[in-house]
Amino acid sequence: MNKPSLIPSYRLDMTGEPCPYPAVATLEAMPNLSHGEILEVVTDCPQSINSIPLDARNHGYEVLDIQQDGPTIRYLIRR
Amino acid sequence: MTWQDFKTHYLVRFWAPLPAVLAAGVLSAYYFGITGTFWAVTGEFTRWGGHLLQLAGYHPETWGYFQLIHLEGTPLTRIDGVMIIGMFAGCLSAALWANNVKLRLPRHRIRIVQALAGGIIAGFGARLAMGCNLAAFFTGIPQFSLHAWFFALATAAGSYFGARFTLLPMFRLPVKLQKIDQAMPLQQDANQARRRFRLGMVIFLAFMAWAVSQSFSAPKLGLAALFGLAFGLLIERAQICFTSAFRDLWITGRSQMAKAIILGMAVSAIGIYSYIQLGAAPKIMWAGPNAVLGGLMFGFGIVLAGGCETGWMYRAVEGQVHFWWVGIGNIIGATLLAVCWDDIAPVVATNFDKVNLLAVFGPQGGLLLTYLMLAMSFGAILLWERRFFASKASARTAPAQNPA
Repeated sequence: MNKPSLIPSYRLDMTGEPCPYPAVATLEAMPNLSHGEILEVVTDCPQSINSIPLDARNHGYEVLDIQQDGPTIRYLIRR
Repeated sequence: MTWQDFKTHYLVRFWAPLPAVLAAGVLSAYYFGITGTFWAVTGEFTRWGGHLLQLAGYHPETWGYFQLIHLEGTPLTRIDGVMIIGMFAGCLSAALWANNVKLRLPRHRIRIVQALAGGIIAGFGARLAMGCNLAAFFTGIPQFSLHAWFFALATAAGSYFGARFTLLPMFRLPVKLQKIDQAMPLQQDANQARRRFRLGMVIFLAFMAWAVSQSFSAPKLGLAALFGLAFGLLIERAQICFTSAFRDLWITGRSQMAKAIILGMAVSAIGIYSYIQLGAAPKIMWAGPNAVLGGLMFGFGIVLAGGCETGWMYRAVEGQVHFWWVGIGNIIGATLLAVCWDDIAPVVATNFDKVNLLAVFGPQGGLLLTYLMLAMSFGAILLWERRFFASKASARTAPAQNPA
């Protein structure tokens, strides 16, 4: 599962936070990135699977990868 | 397809919400046909509160509210009771299959405060309106009870204020954007995942065996337990969240869950209708101020808490401690409502009519009206979505016009 092209520049660690905060924080963080930069969102809120990818796309960002590994989910989102 | 593929695709990965909500809609119609009641959870939570009061030496069975919702028997002898145990078993099995059980501790005390307060407000409001997102919304509207429409609209309004309140700075913990040069390694303990999966299977199969054996001596109870198991699997695996359906319309403009729920009600309503035409009695509640007040409180409470009566169930078994507090709050709130019901009921509820749309407009008229209102709700969501993103887009381009 090596994807060397997907190196995130920033990480948002939302571990422990419930809805809606992970999705809200993700949308608030994205404008801080330069175009083309990648944000890594790490969360253990399972509900985020239905919120973060859709919200990111709806707000004009590109969801590059979603990795589910037990309770932890990682999203890679490009501005 | 190997067993490993099957496991990964169907048991471990999350399910898409739309098919899951449609399945819940269809199942809830069959559930009504078989058990004679609708898929509901808060009434039973209120009875748990009643039993706790009995243990403490009180006599809640003499109170009006418990005579209304009945406190006879135990959770194991009531349809709602075994169904809820089934839901917990389903949620827990599904969470274990995906190794998704983890003790998630709140990051800050404020989360516990909002979970408990939101849970109490939502529990009180739900029982005031005679149902939560299920009995007064997802399974209430397909019963053709007008009170469910009052409740749904009031919940939407309440959730708007809840969303504004919940994003106030006092609830926002500081999050920092870390500069990094490589992704965080994700390492799942493969042995733990295997053990958890097996444990989930044991719970799933044991509960199923118990429910099937029950269904021979007490068919309704056994089948209700099996339906509960299926509902539990659906809500956990697809992370069905009624709270987000309302809340995220306002916060991020996301409408997927709201649309799925409207379609779920649409597939359910025709099924319920057919059972009613065959002679089943629909569950109709008072269309009074209680439905509106209860909906406003409920909508506010579920957003503050982060989940409703259905939502906390699967999150609690996933180990999200936050939602243990929501569940406790729900039971406290529902019990408080039962305490003061006899004083407020004549003013806000029992002197108002129980309006059955199929009786008022005739069976075909009521059915047509229900689908018309569902279609209008769907249309309203599409319009809201368009407006939301149009105003976002103009907010994004506005600073560009002003280079200062």
